[in-house]
Amino acid sequence: MNDMRPLERIVDTDNIKISAKGCQVYYGDTHAIKDVDVQIEDKTVTAFIGPSGCGKSTFLRCLNRMNDTIDICRIEGEILLDGENIYDKKVDPVQLRAKVGMVFQKPNPFPKSIYDNVAYGPRIHGLAKNKADLDVIVEKSLRRGAIWDEVKDRLDAPGTGLSGGQQQRLCIARAVATEPEVLLMDEPCSALDPIATGQVEELIDELRSQYSVVIVTHSMQQAARVSQKTAFFHLGNLVEFGETGQIFTKPEDPRTESYISGKIG
Amino acid sequence: MPVLWIILIVIAIGAVGYVATRARAMASAGNDARHLHSLPSYYGYMAFLFAAAPAFLLLIVWLIAAPLVIEKRVAATLPADVVEQAASQNLLMAEVRRVAVGLDNAVAAGVMDEDLASNARADFTDMTARLKEAGQVITQNVTTPVLRAAQMMREANASSRLWMTIAVIAVAIAGAALAMMRAQRDYRARNVVERGVRWMLVGAASIAILTTVGIVLSLLFNTIEFFRIYPASEFFGSLTWSPSFGGGSELGIWPLLWGTLYISVIALAVAVPIGLFAAIYLSEYASNRVRSVAKPLLEILAGIPTIVYGLFALLTVGPLLLAAFGDGGLGWMQSGTAVMTAGLVMGIMLIPFVSSLSDDIINAVPQAMRDGSYGLGATQSETIRQVVLPAALPGIVGAVLLAASRAIGETMIVVLGAGAAARLSLNPFEAMTTVTAKIVSQLTGDADFASPEALVAFALGMTLFVITLGLNVFALYIVRKYREQYD
Repeated sequence: MNDMRPLERIVDTDNIKISAKGCQVYYGDTHAIKDVDVQIEDKTVTAFIGPSGCGKSTFLRCLNRMNDTIDICRIEGEILLDGENIYDKKVDPVQLRAKVGMVFQKPNPFPKSIYDNVAYGPRIHGLAKNKADLDVIVEKSLRRGAIWDEVKDRLDAPGTGLSGGQQQRLCIARAVATEPEVLLMDEPCSALDPIATGQVEELIDELRSQYSVVIVTHSMQQAARVSQKTAFFHLGNLVEFGETGQIFTKPEDPRTESYISGKIG
Repeated sequence: MPVLWIILIVIAIGAVGYVATRARAMASAGNDARHLHSLPSYYGYMAFLFAAAPAFLLLIVWLIAAPLVIEKRVAATLPADVVEQAASQNLLMAEVRRVAVGLDNAVAAGVMDEDLASNARADFTDMTARLKEAGQVITQNVTTPVLRAAQMMREANASSRLWMTIAVIAVAIAGAALAMMRAQRDYRARNVVERGVRWMLVGAASIAILTTVGIVLSLLFNTIEFFRIYPASEFFGSLTWSPSFGGGSELGIWPLLWGTLYISVIALAVAVPIGLFAAIYLSEYASNRVRSVAKPLLEILAGIPTIVYGLFALLTVGPLLLAAFGDGGLGWMQSGTAVMTAGLVMGIMLIPFVSSLSDDIINAVPQAMRDGSYGLGATQSETIRQVVLPAALPGIVGAVLLAASRAIGETMIVVLGAGAAARLSLNPFEAMTTVTAKIVSQLTGDADFASPEALVAFALGMTLFVITLGLNVFALYIVRKYREQYD
């Protein structure tokens, strides 16, 4: 636990981007998320921590309605994005996901060239007027993904041929290319080695200037390093939510303390 | 002794060996299985393997080799002038075999006793009379030398059979005894059985491969025979197919090849889109309940015999097309049998091939690909078109090429649906025929088997074989080349 640097971080703004109220999630008969209230701020990195199976990934997937693809999944309560309930009938989940991008646990580049991987989102959503425009978007996204220098000479090479860390940064660039407002990351570093993890974490910190980032992680050190706010989930409950520094130094709930000191989980 | 009995005896020896060897191994370890190198049953299996494997191998080799050796020896005894008279030694030997079998049957039926059948001085006319009486087929060709040769053949067969029985049983006993001698506590019976299993599997695999080689060789020799009496330049160069069994036929492959390709293309044009779309629906859109019903239903199509499809073409699709495009309608079609009829029905037959294989392949595309696409705000059909299908493409190409080989090799639907006229035409509403259909008609006639009109079937078969082999190799190449792209 030496690596933990609980700093007093000043949150730039207290704009609320996403706000969940009384959120309940059921998988068939299993009650996976129990009455979660959470407020995620804009231009902030929020970390979800907790033991395996505590529901943090499930809750993350509720934020862009990825759980819609699972037949037996049922959600109650409301989740507001900029004050609008994303589970409202008027909301098109496809449009929502363009606004709330997602990066997955395992790097999943499409079996296409690096260029086409990044251009995928802009092409679907018609963000580029012409080829030159698209080139600009691709370059900008790859730069934001901190991978431009490594791939600028081989944009036509398949994205699957990159190393694991490069693939994950490509996936982040791909998610950034659709100009989302929120970026959800589901254990983005669990398949990466420490060096690649360091690069991705640095990237997450940079992304904070433009997006609201929500990251699920198993590594408490990572949560301490990259996030300003931390939410601790346990058995489907949101046990504690607050400033990262406070959660790691002066947790209010005994369960949080047991978890971060390694007694449970 | 009949072969079946020999087999049963060998198995019995193996079984006795199993029990005895197992018991001996146990005894050598003081009746405590833990002191043995292998489990007790492995010693037993080893004994069975030692007894049965060499014995059966010997049996097979003997059964194949003995007739060849005997026939050669008997043929050598036939006087040269008799052979000349019969025009061909093969024909004469066939006669000898027939008489030998006739004598056997006559003895079995009780018309003749064993002494008379093998009596080298038996009266020839009396013998033939008795054979006829026993209901055996006797032709004019049976002469005294043939009869004597047949008698000799019987004798040789009988002694060969006797020696074979003795040898096989002796080998089995020797094998079992060897295994029993080796059954000591430190002997590695488990490893021996492992090797035995491996060789058994190797044997099974080589039988499959050798059979393929045999089929190709038999095609090849007959094809060479054909090209010896009919010029290859005509076969591959002529645009006319008009076999006439009186001679002077033109045997150009192009009209048949054209018909094959035309019908296959129409069939694929029907099967590929329908099959692929059905597969996409089943794997991406359908709920589990729908899929569990619809998939087996679709696969029933694959279980319908092609002759039934042929009837469907002849009785339903042909008349329907004729009503629309025939004289009553557009006037393009003369009769119900046409390229279009066969192509459509063949396409329906191929739908399950394409859909079932494509479905498996689409399901094999990792869910992470779809999640990635949905996470970027793509719709379901965008995801399928731009991510899932490209990832599954190599497999789908493989499925299509497999369907193409089926289409090219299909016969019954063509015979009943497309007619029998070999012609080069662009009109899909005309009757045409294919390579396979012509192979059937060339070989089922009364033609002399040595004539080019019959032998051409082998050349056609060989051409078809090369084409489908090429397609399969190409399909394998495509699948291998792109297979692991999304890993």
